[in-house]
Amino acid sequence: MKPPIVLKRLMTVSFVLLLLLLAAMLLGLSVGSTGSSLTATVQTLWGKNEIDPTLAAIIWRIRLPRVLLAALVGATLSVGGLVFQALLRNPLAEPYILGISGGSAIGAIIGILLGVSPFPGVSLFAFIGSMATLLLILMMVSGQTILKRESLLLSGVMVNAFCAAVIMFLVSLTQDSRLHNIIFWLMGDFSMVDARQVAILAVTLLPGMILIFWFAHPMNLLLAGKEPAQSMGVHVKAVTVTLLVTTSFMVSATVSHSGLLGFVGLVMPHLLRLLLGPDHRVLVPACILGGSTYMVLCDLLARILPEQGEMPAGVITAMIGAPLFIFLMKTSKR
Amino acid sequence: MNKEYPGLIDFSPGFLLQPVLKKLQIMIDAIKSALKSACCLVIFSLLTGGLFLPTAFAATFTIVTDLLGRSVKVPADPRRVIALAPNITEIIFALKQEHRLKGVTQFSDYPVEARKLPKVGSYVQLDLERIVALKPDLCIAIKDGNPRSVVERLESMGIPVYALDPRNLNSVMETILAIGMLMQAENTARDLVQTMQTRVARVQTKVSQAASKPGVFFQIGISPIVSVGTPTFIHELIEKAGGTNLAAGDTPYPRFSREQVLGLSPDIIIITSMTRAAVFERVKEEWSRWPNMPAVQNQKIFITDSNLFDRPSPRLVDALELLARLIHPEFIKENQSP
Amino acid sequence: MTIAIDINKVDHSYGDFPVLQDISFSIETGDFFIVIGPNGSGKTTLMKIIANIIKPLQGRPTLFSRPLESYPRKELARKVAFVPQLAALDFPFTVMEIVLMGRSPHLGLLGWEQEKDFEIAKRAIAFTETEHLAHRKLNELSGGERQRVYIARAICQEPQIILLDEPTASLDLAHQIKIMDLMEKLRAEKNITIVMVSHDVNLAAMYAQRLLLLNRGRIVTLGPPQDVLNFKTLEEVYGCTLLVDESPIGRFPRVTLVPKKFLPTPDP
Repeated sequence: MKPPIVLKRLMTVSFVLLLLLLAAMLLGLSVGSTGSSLTATVQTLWGKNEIDPTLAAIIWRIRLPRVLLAALVGATLSVGGLVFQALLRNPLAEPYILGISGGSAIGAIIGILLGVSPFPGVSLFAFIGSMATLLLILMMVSGQTILKRESLLLSGVMVNAFCAAVIMFLVSLTQDSRLHNIIFWLMGDFSMVDARQVAILAVTLLPGMILIFWFAHPMNLLLAGKEPAQSMGVHVKAVTVTLLVTTSFMVSATVSHSGLLGFVGLVMPHLLRLLLGPDHRVLVPACILGGSTYMVLCDLLARILPEQGEMPAGVITAMIGAPLFIFLMKTSKR
Repeated sequence: MNKEYPGLIDFSPGFLLQPVLKKLQIMIDAIKSALKSACCLVIFSLLTGGLFLPTAFAATFTIVTDLLGRSVKVPADPRRVIALAPNITEIIFALKQEHRLKGVTQFSDYPVEARKLPKVGSYVQLDLERIVALKPDLCIAIKDGNPRSVVERLESMGIPVYALDPRNLNSVMETILAIGMLMQAENTARDLVQTMQTRVARVQTKVSQAASKPGVFFQIGISPIVSVGTPTFIHELIEKAGGTNLAAGDTPYPRFSREQVLGLSPDIIIITSMTRAAVFERVKEEWSRWPNMPAVQNQKIFITDSNLFDRPSPRLVDALELLARLIHPEFIKENQSP
Repeated sequence: MTIAIDINKVDHSYGDFPVLQDISFSIETGDFFIVIGPNGSGKTTLMKIIANIIKPLQGRPTLFSRPLESYPRKELARKVAFVPQLAALDFPFTVMEIVLMGRSPHLGLLGWEQEKDFEIAKRAIAFTETEHLAHRKLNELSGGERQRVYIARAICQEPQIILLDEPTASLDLAHQIKIMDLMEKLRAEKNITIVMVSHDVNLAAMYAQRLLLLNRGRIVTLGPPQDVLNFKTLEEVYGCTLLVDESPIGRFPRVTLVPKKFLPTPDP
């Protein structure tokens, strides 16, 4: 029996992207403020580096958690953007649209101002913040109208706008070095992560990714309209709510560790859709692998571009993402 | 395009692995994602197993309590110290222990020799990689500024971190003594502190003879106008130098509108910032537009080096003396050391 | 003749506003059943109730003698296909991909299509004469072409009943006939029951075996076109002057609208 065509595409695309991801991760591990050497990195990873145990410590304990976090964040934001674009049937949707950015930022800022430790303290506050805004939005849009994407979108936009005002207020009150921490959190920063955080995050995100892949075909159908989808056998309400909650949960969990990184969730799905077509059964793994590669590379750039110190990764994603998005919009119009 | 099924984009290349059963493919995808997280778990367990950095010397250690009350195991004779803030660098040089110092932060510019040492980022944004690459056997940190997460990371990698929290002149002297103890330079430290105390006492005696305590507005921010409140070094210095800090209050760095400053009617305005002279001239000129202000009338608008006033180091005493000269010139002549 | 759909005393309202009141009728297998009526008469709501998209407040419709709500979604999708009104799609799916979506009630858990599914899709595309469009993106097509694609998708569901919501609205004349002919072909060749909502009374008269005339949520008449389309009833329901005669091409009524300028002026 010949394998299904979609499976062949899936395998090919996944294989290529996985190779790219591994290459990017290797590159990411070889580069840092103490200099870079591809061969030394490979030797260290293989366990054959006896000359310089410090490099081993740097690679395993400083660079690796960071690269892994970048991969996880990139994957989650990309696939999150994809899911929201499908659920809201709007190609301009992105993963923060349901108040996640506003809520988590407020939570994180409160955590920083209270002086709790970055992990689990600030992360937990950020997570609670985004869950709170999500709950708020779900309550505002309760009942049958949860399927009415306009009300969902509108509520999300309003809540985000309100949160932005609160954030500005909190920032204006802060006058000491915590201001620095807040700004860095808002711009997205991978530098202070450790292996424990990454392991916990990975385990949390894995079931979500599998679930989203499971729902890839229904997402295709949802795009045809909620009534046609229903008449083709999709449990529209159940699928929508499940995907909404799962994705929001995943994005919140990710953002609470890394801060707000923009444009990834908007640009990656578009880019991949342009290259691979709109079939979500291929796009979901593509976003997971492609998004992680993109983020690892952005983090790499954030570390090597500045002369002294490093940029927040969010600056790179915005600087690359915005012109890329404009370019994509122009190309797809043709 | 797929010729058999028009409209379907077909990616089939030649090399494809032929899956046996359709069900297996579901497993393969799940395994791929599982591999990613398994990698993390493996690494996690490796790391918690303990990857300790070898210290350069098989040294002896003592357990001390740092100035935050934490118990830290420090080497008795540290040879590779990293100062995580500029004031710590200054103190180490003042104690003549710079041979132990292997790394400093970006703005460690005093004394001049410090600028040649390797940099590990700025004190609010420390570069973990560079710190680790210098193979330190002791790091000295300050509470207000160094990110806690970095300190925790360093300690989790087996690098001892001794923390300080200098908040006023007295705790600065405590800090000097503590660092002296860490660097096996207790005597030098004690002498230094002694000298500092003597100088402070001398200033206080002189200015106590003054009839009044002029109102001082100490401006550390230009736009917005920011001054210093009671919980700062500068406040203490102003008061000890025989002045009245017009911005005294609970807020460490209160903001003022121009109106409010005019309302305070300061006798002396001291501006400190890291900006250049040109900016100072502009600011001075702006204040000069209010001729009713005593500071303008008496031409008492001065600029000082912010590093002198901001850093909890021995130079604070220099700052004190400078302030005393500015506030009470009648008692302390310009070129005369008190 | 088996009863495909049976509607018995169905009521529905949106909030306080009653949309359908005391609706009872049945549709037989192989019927060409068209629902007509003025705007706001409840036609689309009735269609959605039959498609099990809306649950009526009163009454339990049955499908092949089983209650409609007892059908699991996928099983229902294998029996009933719904062709919605034309809607815009912002995502670049090709025609083939859209038509393949119709196979989903027959696909496994992950929705991966097999050879057989592609064959069925190809046949559906051939049936609707859209082969030359198969590789094009849906949003590049005209209204009539898109409608045919949606019908091909519905065919892929291999249903026994196809529901259509105003399928000829905003289509040009040629496409209007094409769509209706397609439906007749499906009915005649595959014995598929066609249930349609239409605003075009004449088109309905030409194809329907039975017409259901709704007004303000109630049934006015139900029966073959000759019976339903009499000018007195129509004038009352639609509130305008009409002329009803027999069509020159067949034994079915023809409804002509009468503009004001053709009305005889009243004697002074």
